[in-house]
Amino acid sequence: MEFLLAITIGVMVAAAVYLMLARNVLRFIFGLILISNAANLAIFTAGRLTPGAPPLIKEGAYAPAEGVANALPQALVLTAIVIGFGLFAFALVLVYRAYTTLGTLYSDEMDAAEPKGPAQ
Amino acid sequence: MSWLLALPILIPFLTAICAFFLRRTGWCRWASVIGSGVLLAVSLLLFATVLREGVVAAQMGGWPAPFGITLVADGLSAVMVVITAITALAVAVYASAEISERQVFLGYHALFQVLIAGVCGAFLTGDLFNLYVWFEVMLIASFGLLVLGGKKSQIDAGIRYVMMNLVSTVFFLTGVGFLYGMTGTLNMADLSLAVQQLENQSLLTVVAVMFMVAFGVKAALFPLFFWLPAAYHTPSFSVSAVFAGLLTKVGVYALMRAFTLIFVEDVAYTHQILLWVACLTMLTGVLGAAAQSDFRKILSFHIVSQIGYMILGLALYTPLALAGSVFYLVHHIIVKGNLFLISGVARRITGSTELSKMGGLYKSAPVLAFLFLIPAFSLAGFPPLSGFWAKFILIKAALEIEMWWAAGVALFVGLLTIYSMTKIWAQAFWEPHPEEIEPSLKSLSNFAQVALLLPIAGLALLTVVIGLNPEPFMDFATSAAGQLLDPSDYVQAVLGVTQGGTR
Amino acid sequence: MAAGHDEAKGNGFVGWLPVLLSAGIFAFFLQFLPQIAAGDTLRVEWAWAPSLGVALSFLVDGLSLTFALLISGIGTFVLLYSNSYLAGHPQYGRFALYLFSFMLSMLGLVLSDNLIGLFVFWELTTLTSYLLIGFDNESPKARRSALQALLLTGAGGLAMLAGLILLGAVGGSFEISQLVPQAEAIKGSGLYVPILILILAGTFTKSAQVPFHFWLPNAMAAPTPVSAFLHSATMVKAGVYLMARLHPVLSGTELWFWTLTIFGAVTAVFTSVLSLRQDDLKQALAYSTLMALGTLTMLLAPSSGYAITAFATFLVVHSLYKAALFLVVGCVDHGTGTRDADLLGGLARFMPFTAFTAALAGLSMAGLPPFIGYIGKELIYANTITAGDAATFVTVMALAANALMFAVAGVVALRPFWGKRGDTPLEPHEAPWPMLAGPMVLALLGLAFGLMPLLAEVNFTTPTVAAILGDAEKAKHLHLWAGVNTELMLSLATFAIGGLLLALYRPVRRFLEAADAATPSFDNGWDNILDALYRAAKWQTGILQSGNLQRYLFTIFATFVVAVGGTLLLKDAVNLGVALDDMNSPRHWPELVLIVAAALVTASSRSRMLAVAALGVQGIAVALIFISFGAPDVAITQLLVETLVVVLVAVAMLSLPFLDERGKNDRRPKDMVLAVLCGVVVSAVLIGVLQGPLDLRLTDFFETTAAPEAFGRNIVNVILVDFRAIDTFGEIAVIVVAALSAYALLRTTDSSRDRDEEEEELS
Repeated sequence: MEFLLAITIGVMVAAAVYLMLARNVLRFIFGLILISNAANLAIFTAGRLTPGAPPLIKEGAYAPAEGVANALPQALVLTAIVIGFGLFAFALVLVYRAYTTLGTLYSDEMDAAEPKGPAQ
Repeated sequence: MSWLLALPILIPFLTAICAFFLRRTGWCRWASVIGSGVLLAVSLLLFATVLREGVVAAQMGGWPAPFGITLVADGLSAVMVVITAITALAVAVYASAEISERQVFLGYHALFQVLIAGVCGAFLTGDLFNLYVWFEVMLIASFGLLVLGGKKSQIDAGIRYVMMNLVSTVFFLTGVGFLYGMTGTLNMADLSLAVQQLENQSLLTVVAVMFMVAFGVKAALFPLFFWLPAAYHTPSFSVSAVFAGLLTKVGVYALMRAFTLIFVEDVAYTHQILLWVACLTMLTGVLGAAAQSDFRKILSFHIVSQIGYMILGLALYTPLALAGSVFYLVHHIIVKGNLFLISGVARRITGSTELSKMGGLYKSAPVLAFLFLIPAFSLAGFPPLSGFWAKFILIKAALEIEMWWAAGVALFVGLLTIYSMTKIWAQAFWEPHPEEIEPSLKSLSNFAQVALLLPIAGLALLTVVIGLNPEPFMDFATSAAGQLLDPSDYVQAVLGVTQGGTR
Repeated sequence: MAAGHDEAKGNGFVGWLPVLLSAGIFAFFLQFLPQIAAGDTLRVEWAWAPSLGVALSFLVDGLSLTFALLISGIGTFVLLYSNSYLAGHPQYGRFALYLFSFMLSMLGLVLSDNLIGLFVFWELTTLTSYLLIGFDNESPKARRSALQALLLTGAGGLAMLAGLILLGAVGGSFEISQLVPQAEAIKGSGLYVPILILILAGTFTKSAQVPFHFWLPNAMAAPTPVSAFLHSATMVKAGVYLMARLHPVLSGTELWFWTLTIFGAVTAVFTSVLSLRQDDLKQALAYSTLMALGTLTMLLAPSSGYAITAFATFLVVHSLYKAALFLVVGCVDHGTGTRDADLLGGLARFMPFTAFTAALAGLSMAGLPPFIGYIGKELIYANTITAGDAATFVTVMALAANALMFAVAGVVALRPFWGKRGDTPLEPHEAPWPMLAGPMVLALLGLAFGLMPLLAEVNFTTPTVAAILGDAEKAKHLHLWAGVNTELMLSLATFAIGGLLLALYRPVRRFLEAADAATPSFDNGWDNILDALYRAAKWQTGILQSGNLQRYLFTIFATFVVAVGGTLLLKDAVNLGVALDDMNSPRHWPELVLIVAAALVTASSRSRMLAVAALGVQGIAVALIFISFGAPDVAITQLLVETLVVVLVAVAMLSLPFLDERGKNDRRPKDMVLAVLCGVVVSAVLIGVLQGPLDLRLTDFFETTAAPEAFGRNIVNVILVDFRAIDTFGEIAVIVVAALSAYALLRTTDSSRDRDEEEEELS
């Protein structure tokens, strides 16, 4: 299963990179969502997969039952998801703002920061 | 001890909160200045402690390493925090005269202080995932600062900056996941031991290269630096000064940390790559600068070229070379931030940063001209300023291990640096202003004169002090380099303690 | 040059202070003279950067004291002169500061015993020279010349730095006095050749040897006293000085001998021809300075007593007459408003003192008795005829150069003052005494040393020879009359040829002008190099920093693939074969297929609604995976965030245009290949990671301590709020700041933005 998931993550990355390389910056945002999910899944997988039991400790017990899932990657992924969301939200607002200010979503038509031509 | 290590992160956060609530009042900028001053005091205290006691570490929440998160300061971390605080103070003072009320209201100082918190966090953390978190704190604050003001060029630059940095963030995060999957730990000191036990050392090298790419984007190495020259000339001058001084240096710091503490199993391979990258970064950066005709764009490309020097020291991987890197970092942050601050004053009184539209500063603003000469010639490596020693150490280190071509590149790049710094000097300072105005500092209000020039003069003074009295700085850089090359003190300090105390 | 300011006002205190200070410095050095003449040396040392082997150590011996006296003595006169020459100049304060700083740097240079200390002062002279050449900063010519001098000597200086570091490494010290005993070992070292070449790169550029000579005539854009001081008497001799200083360490090899001989001789002859071609008196002097530098270099090639005595003598000779003549030309310029040789004539009537001074200095330059210049020339010939293999070559070259100098001396020092009065812009008038005092004293010294050669011998030449050759016995005596010998014959030949050239001055100059115009110019060559550099810089920056975000991102991902993928292949890090047998859990295939399909739809869809919907599906499928493998908290968060993401994107899209312009196909095969490679690399590394064992001691610790010590039953939550609470703290900061940033970004509406920009313009 881990092997299959690794392949799946590869496909997600490929799709995401393809989107991020597009000239439309909205596609970059799509790619960003996808690649963030891929990264989270990669961390989760790297912590090894345990089918079933969540890492909870029963009332009265001092330790969880044998064979619960690895808790640490879950904590990392939770943090990463939330941080990723913050970054995504800002990026989306920036794209929106770029459209209203620069009048385009095509990155090659945005030339306010690095104007082309001899006048540089 | 626990508090001393946490304070450089907490103080800017608290300052940010104060600044946010005071943002409608004139107190906001003073909160930022005072907060930065306190940060400087605390960081000096931390620095003194490190000098006295060697590497110090504190376990947050009292959980022993490697289970909780450790904050740790060795020589490199401590000096980086001090330089960060100095930069923060200089920029906070400068910003009090530069930043419009509108931008203060929109949270300039809060964002600025969070940025500083993120930078300090990155320097002090001893945990790889926690480093990722601080990178993100720093990054999101830098996003906000970059586009604050909303000019067209800023929004465009924001798109470029944000997108390229987010890609690097994903590389980094994935890399952390992989490294955890291999070693089962995140604590960097613990990692340095755990990686030695790995069976598949080749895979470790692969992951090392992945980190190199991720940090390489942050540090603006060749061929990953595009976001920097695309963005640094667009925000307000105090923002570009703090970016120029600190942001890429966090990347450099991360590279120095990772490639001395964790990824040292295959130095012949990884550091050889770094050597090539360093030389190409120096060359492409300085050629980029030579091709520019805008004050801030020249400075931006110079950052790239000088990152190359710092990485050169890491790549050579000898005690002297690493000491050179540490020295270079300290010198560079002071000088580069200062030059951006100066460009802001020049912009105010000449009306442009485009060199062809500037001029006359030498004649009518001699104080500014003098203050420019110090960091500019320091950057160009003229003795007896700080930049000379930085270059001298690195070139000496390269020659000592017979890296002829690396030394040759470093020298040649030094020459081209002189070329482009004199371009600024000749056009903005010597040449008369094209519109025949005589730019003068007297056109600024009294408050602006003090608030803008005081930080510039202070940083210039530091440049001169380091230049005239290099020995204590060199001594320190040597001991910091020693700690990097032999991480046993670092590992001992982190893993050898149980409850948040000293070792 | 001296126009455009109020001369009557003077410079006051700022004008006089540096004169007094430098006179004091001169007096200070004068007191060492008896001691050094007696054969002693002095050395003082202060630590500077001991861990780098750098010290502020100063050595006073014959060589450095001769230089120090020339520097501080001429410096005093030049500062005195400048105070009148630039009287009332609004920026005289800066000028005096630079000039005085230069003098101190130059003193530091010649007195330093530490190579790196010497280099520091060396660079400081370069820097002050830059500021002084560009003193007339509003003139493009001055700015260009300043940059040229800075870059050329700077380039040489950097090469030299490498040479000095290597020399220090080979010799085990940066102290020159400690390198001298190591001379044989250094010459035997494999690094000797690179050391010599790198150091000579520095000295040849600084001392303007052909082909690096062209910056020096251009440096005459500086005010005349600067030219007299830096670009004739002192700074340009720094290179010669260093060669003399390192003579005991590096000389005595074939490479040293021939390099210095050839560069020196060619420089001497080539530039003295060019000197005769000039119509600007200052340019003529500039080229004749190059001749002197070439001669001095040539004299340092051998290690014979004649050569080094000739070197020491000619060094003093040249400094005295050349500084005097430069200052005289400044007086002429000041008094007549021109320096054009064709316009000047008959000035002796109007400027008698200037004419007198010019005559004295000119005669010494021409090498006529009873001036010290004559003695210098005799010694040069005495050296050339004993130069072994090179004797014929160097004698002919020296004869040619000296004859040309004879003619140039006539052009500069005689023709303007005698004969028919020319048509000058100003009515000629004599210069004030502060401008005359310096040149006159210097010119008279040339006569005094000629009449009393013992004075020069005891105080300057013999101690200098002792410093260079390590033995005062090797020094030759200075005589006006040494009997009828080959040297005398050569001298007579020099006067005859020189006199002929002077008589035929106009046709000769016309011929030289034509010849010069027909040959390629070094100065243009320099421009071409700078142009080429700029074009190369533009070209490479145009390619790298193209301004195209797509290209940037492509490069970054491509770097990732090449670096990580390349390492993967090179190190053969992952064995993909063994992993294939764990495909036996078909239970989760639906989620995986769903993810893959959704990702591919998102990537390929041209409908944005479809893309967003697919993204949502993909997010839900990822959440299902989290649920299946014991991570319900993560799954819930994932679902929540994914919903928010989809909603936000959908809302944003309401005011955004469609993904593609109609009819435009967004197929990008190159991107597709790169994207697939990225995916492959990530998969491969992840598979590699999964093949090893995972050490679970962190998790074990969390599982056993969560309940008893952290009082939590949900281990994930305990990690977040306790074990790794700082992560969560940072995470919250990110969210808050993201909101703050986004708010600020949205709040800067167009109108407020304009207001901000306006404020910025006004403030």
